[in-house]
Amino acid sequence: MKPHAPAASAAELPPGPQERRTAKRGTAMSSVTDKAATPAAQRTARQADWLRSILGNQQFLLLVALAALVGYFTARNSVFVSTGEIAGMLLVFSELILLAVGETFVIVSGGIDLSVGAVAGFSGVVAAFAMRDLLAGHQSEALVLTVGTAICASIGIGVGLVNSALIHWARLVPFVATLITLGAGTGMAIVLTGGAPIGSDSAAIGLTADRVGPFPYLSLSVIAIAAIAWLYLHRSRYGRYTFAIGSSAFAARAAGINVRRHLTSVYVLSGLLAGLTGMVFYMQLGSGAPTSGDGAELTAIAAVVIGGASLLGGVGQMGGTILGALILTVVSAGLIISNVSPNYNKVAVAICIAAAASLQALRPSGRRER
Amino acid sequence: MTSDREPLYEARHIDKSYGSVVALSDVSFTLHPGEVVGLVGDNGAGKSTLVKCLSGVHSPDKGELLLDGAERHWKSPRDTIAAGIETLYQDAGLAPDLTIGSNVFLGREKPKPGLLGKLGFLAQKDMEREALADLMQVGVEVPPSSRTVSQLSGGQRQAVAIGRAIAWARKVILLDEPTNHLGAYQAGEVLSVILAARERGLGVVFISHTLPHVLQVTDRIVVLRLGRVVRDAPTAEFDAESLLGTITGLIEI
Repeated sequence: MKPHAPAASAAELPPGPQERRTAKRGTAMSSVTDKAATPAAQRTARQADWLRSILGNQQFLLLVALAALVGYFTARNSVFVSTGEIAGMLLVFSELILLAVGETFVIVSGGIDLSVGAVAGFSGVVAAFAMRDLLAGHQSEALVLTVGTAICASIGIGVGLVNSALIHWARLVPFVATLITLGAGTGMAIVLTGGAPIGSDSAAIGLTADRVGPFPYLSLSVIAIAAIAWLYLHRSRYGRYTFAIGSSAFAARAAGINVRRHLTSVYVLSGLLAGLTGMVFYMQLGSGAPTSGDGAELTAIAAVVIGGASLLGGVGQMGGTILGALILTVVSAGLIISNVSPNYNKVAVAICIAAAASLQALRPSGRRER
Repeated sequence: MTSDREPLYEARHIDKSYGSVVALSDVSFTLHPGEVVGLVGDNGAGKSTLVKCLSGVHSPDKGELLLDGAERHWKSPRDTIAAGIETLYQDAGLAPDLTIGSNVFLGREKPKPGLLGKLGFLAQKDMEREALADLMQVGVEVPPSSRTVSQLSGGQRQAVAIGRAIAWARKVILLDEPTNHLGAYQAGEVLSVILAARERGLGVVFISHTLPHVLQVTDRIVVLRLGRVVRDAPTAEFDAESLLGTITGLIEI
């Protein structure tokens, strides 16, 4: 793979690199030994390190918070952990997680995608028109849903390409580019439908009720997509380039990465997952509702931010995003089951974001001082 | 010392403007194998622009670039990297949120063996280990390569960037201010690394504001002023005073 191992082996370096290196190691060590002077100080330092590493592990804290929330809501109403309630929460989670997964890639790459909620609503509506016609022609449900999924996916990919074109050709910042497609998608969905839901597909709703234990099949397939996305963000070349570009687009380009092509694929991925979310909405409602995705982009971004990603790019974790989405789902379901007015939901989301963001400020590794 | 040989890398009559600002004007420049050429000039003289033309970040508006005598048109740094040219950019070449190992392998990641590798998955542990070995081999001592670059000091970052360039270069190394952020001792290390690269037959372009370093390590010095080459001569023909005078324009050629 490597063209050749560097031939400047230690022995060739003039004059006496071996001594120099030892000397250097000596100086590097000295600060450590100073710290270790008294055992008591050492112990305190170790405890501080331990505390900081716990505080710095966003995902561990999120897991604790999630467990605490589940425990709290269960104490208030034990129905909260019933199979049916969990299945219901997982379906709500399915509406959110694909958007949040796509948004994680975009945010890690240093961008933002405001259009995902609108894409979900718009693609769901367009697909609903086609599916209504197919159902009227007595086609099988499997065919109908396959065609619908294909339409949703294509629209999502299309909007992703438009976003990318606005960013790279029209040279708009991602916020503005995706604000345009957000407005266009929301508006077109209303225009096409006149505001009313399209279609009435009770068979689709019925499918969402099929489940193994508390896991609806729909949610399982969505979770599988999220798991694959996790692997690709953190273990693959694709994810590595996403982090590199978000961290420093220049460094990525200088290393030979085709930044423009990669970013295009990131927005296409985000669009695709948003389109598939349109299908998730359709299946739950049995119709394409033009407003179904309204505001969903902000919930998705909230999940990503709670998960520990930086809006500056280069930092983020898929595990954090998934936990963030779970927390938001549990909070909104928990408020309902505790008889709190749903109007408080947005306030609760705000509190979650505030708590997560202040924890990040305590993180041990001070962010870039560039 | 090497003028009788074929040039390794050559720029002929390069022009480059940013809008109405002329950054380079009719700049010609040659680099031979096993030669260290110093590129000096005041701020805004065009040094970094020339490096970016030589490394494929910018395309020159006019002029030719020849590697091993063949004319080349770089479309992006990807092309120069593939041709064996490595570049250290002033303060900008590393991705701060990535680990040291990931930075050393950035753009040429090692895939996992077998099917997983074909699916795009990376052999991260191998890369971290090899990166550390590479850096040690070129005389750069850094903390564990699983640290992110943002956790390193300025000097350590610079060391990683230099180590990466030296470890991968096959023909040419372009170093834009490699001794920035370095103490006297570390700068000395870098200079010996440069000399070792020359021994390997690489061509090195060395940009620095620290003129004693330039006089110490280069074979030839090219002086840029306001986008033009005002002097191109063997290092032996300069001393600290005459070099400074040529850079500032106090000494007219």
